[in-house]
Amino acid sequence: MHDFNLFYALATIVGVFAVIMGTCAMLIFIERKVAAWVQDRLGPNRVGPAGLLQSVADGLKFLLKEDIIPRQVDKVLFLMAPAIAMCTALLAFAVVPFGATSVPPERPDLMVIPVSGPVIDPMNDPNVARLVTKFADYDRRTAQYRESYQFVIAPGLDIGIVFVFAITSLAVYAIILGGWAANNKYSFIGGLRSSAQFVSYEIPLGLSILGVVLMTGSLNLEKIIWDQTGGGWNIFVQPLAWLIFVTAGLAECNRVPFDLPEAEQELVGGYHTEYSAMKFAMFFLGEYTHLVTTSFLNVIVFFGGWHFPFIATAESGWLIKLLVIAVKVACFILFFMVVRWTLPRFRFDQLMALAWKVLIPLAIANLICVMIVKQLGWSVWILGPVSIGILIGAAWLSVQPMRVEKASAAM
Amino acid sequence: MPPEPGFDLSAYFPIFLYLAIILGFAGTTLILAHVVGPRRDTSVKLMPYESGMDPVGDARQRFDVKFYLLAIMFLVFDVELLFLYPWAVVAYREGGLPAFLSGPVFWGVLVFIALLLVAYVYDWRKGVFRWR
Repeated sequence: MHDFNLFYALATIVGVFAVIMGTCAMLIFIERKVAAWVQDRLGPNRVGPAGLLQSVADGLKFLLKEDIIPRQVDKVLFLMAPAIAMCTALLAFAVVPFGATSVPPERPDLMVIPVSGPVIDPMNDPNVARLVTKFADYDRRTAQYRESYQFVIAPGLDIGIVFVFAITSLAVYAIILGGWAANNKYSFIGGLRSSAQFVSYEIPLGLSILGVVLMTGSLNLEKIIWDQTGGGWNIFVQPLAWLIFVTAGLAECNRVPFDLPEAEQELVGGYHTEYSAMKFAMFFLGEYTHLVTTSFLNVIVFFGGWHFPFIATAESGWLIKLLVIAVKVACFILFFMVVRWTLPRFRFDQLMALAWKVLIPLAIANLICVMIVKQLGWSVWILGPVSIGILIGAAWLSVQPMRVEKASAAM
Repeated sequence: MPPEPGFDLSAYFPIFLYLAIILGFAGTTLILAHVVGPRRDTSVKLMPYESGMDPVGDARQRFDVKFYLLAIMFLVFDVELLFLYPWAVVAYREGGLPAFLSGPVFWGVLVFIALLLVAYVYDWRKGVFRWR
């Protein structure tokens, strides 16, 4: 279906790579500035004008510091872990559209064309003729799709969001290998906790997206954006799904309030206690790239991607679409940063209870609601109030301490 | 000639290219940091960190069986999720499921989720999700 265009692919990859690296460097600086504002301090302001070169100085220092490999570590795994952390975070971005995209044409299905009679004369059969025109149309649109530049590294990949989940879930190997290889008690406990957290939150993350997939009928992120340009953003239709998605996404990023693996007060540095210099920087880079990817996914799946009413519609130019999606993503990243400096950290049992006892049942309830609405052919707009209803119900259940106590005492 | 619906490897070529570049970058960074950075090893510096004390015993000890139970629960739910994705894609899109299959598939998926919920409730009652 897609001819592989080496020039487009290389240009996009180099561009994306440079932008992600630059963004991550800037994000570290911005994070420190936001922290400073929240805590009424000045933040970094010595290196360069207004401290803007702080990230460059940090990067150089990471490179020039001593690269300690402790004696007791498992050397191969110890070196592999930061590389895995960085590679998986970067690779997940491959299918994320970061600007204007059009929808990849869908191949017409042979199965649904009914046979018109017992005898088929392929030359004169009207169904065959219809099929032939369908395929001709498909070929024409494919050629069109291929000619126009798409703002995504791998355009038209039909597994889309599943690819992102598959790759980001590999990041758990980095954490558990890093924790295991370091042969340090803090690292080991941090790695264990972190892997438990990772796998737990992956399930609500995957379940929350199912509702959107049911409505769109595709896993392709370009198609998901396109679907929202006509009928309103998914956040209005499925607010509950978004809430689950953003919570689980925060946990997958290892950010406060879910940064248990790095709880300094109890675990020193968690799984990266023994890491120093560039290897530590690679873990860091992976984490920030993951943050960027999560923000992009939030924007694309629930907030309409490059679409914004009256400003960026389907007919707008590519520059305005790029700007709209960039602004949306920036808002999300700032939101995540403010959350980090606002909320205290969870306790580990609370963390696990939130994933297994709250998010998973809510996600399944949401999925069943979407199923029923789609099956009965109702308008999807019913789902918004229903979502809020479920949320209020869950909140009401959660403030019934007596009942919960009794239930656990009876066990 | 009727085309096979679906898979086309060439759509993945940009990803392979991207992966190669990333791996190259990661390898270069690791080697560069090793070459550029100074190395002054002392026996204390190469000890595992344990809050300034000499490390006691090995770090790789037995740990709570809860993590194991959790891993199994994760497997159950994750495999369930993998089964639901293909269904979610074809269930309600144009030209997806034929109309006569719509009802049976709907009830089938409901039963599938219900079966999982039974296991879920059982685990909850058994206290798998309780951490102490």
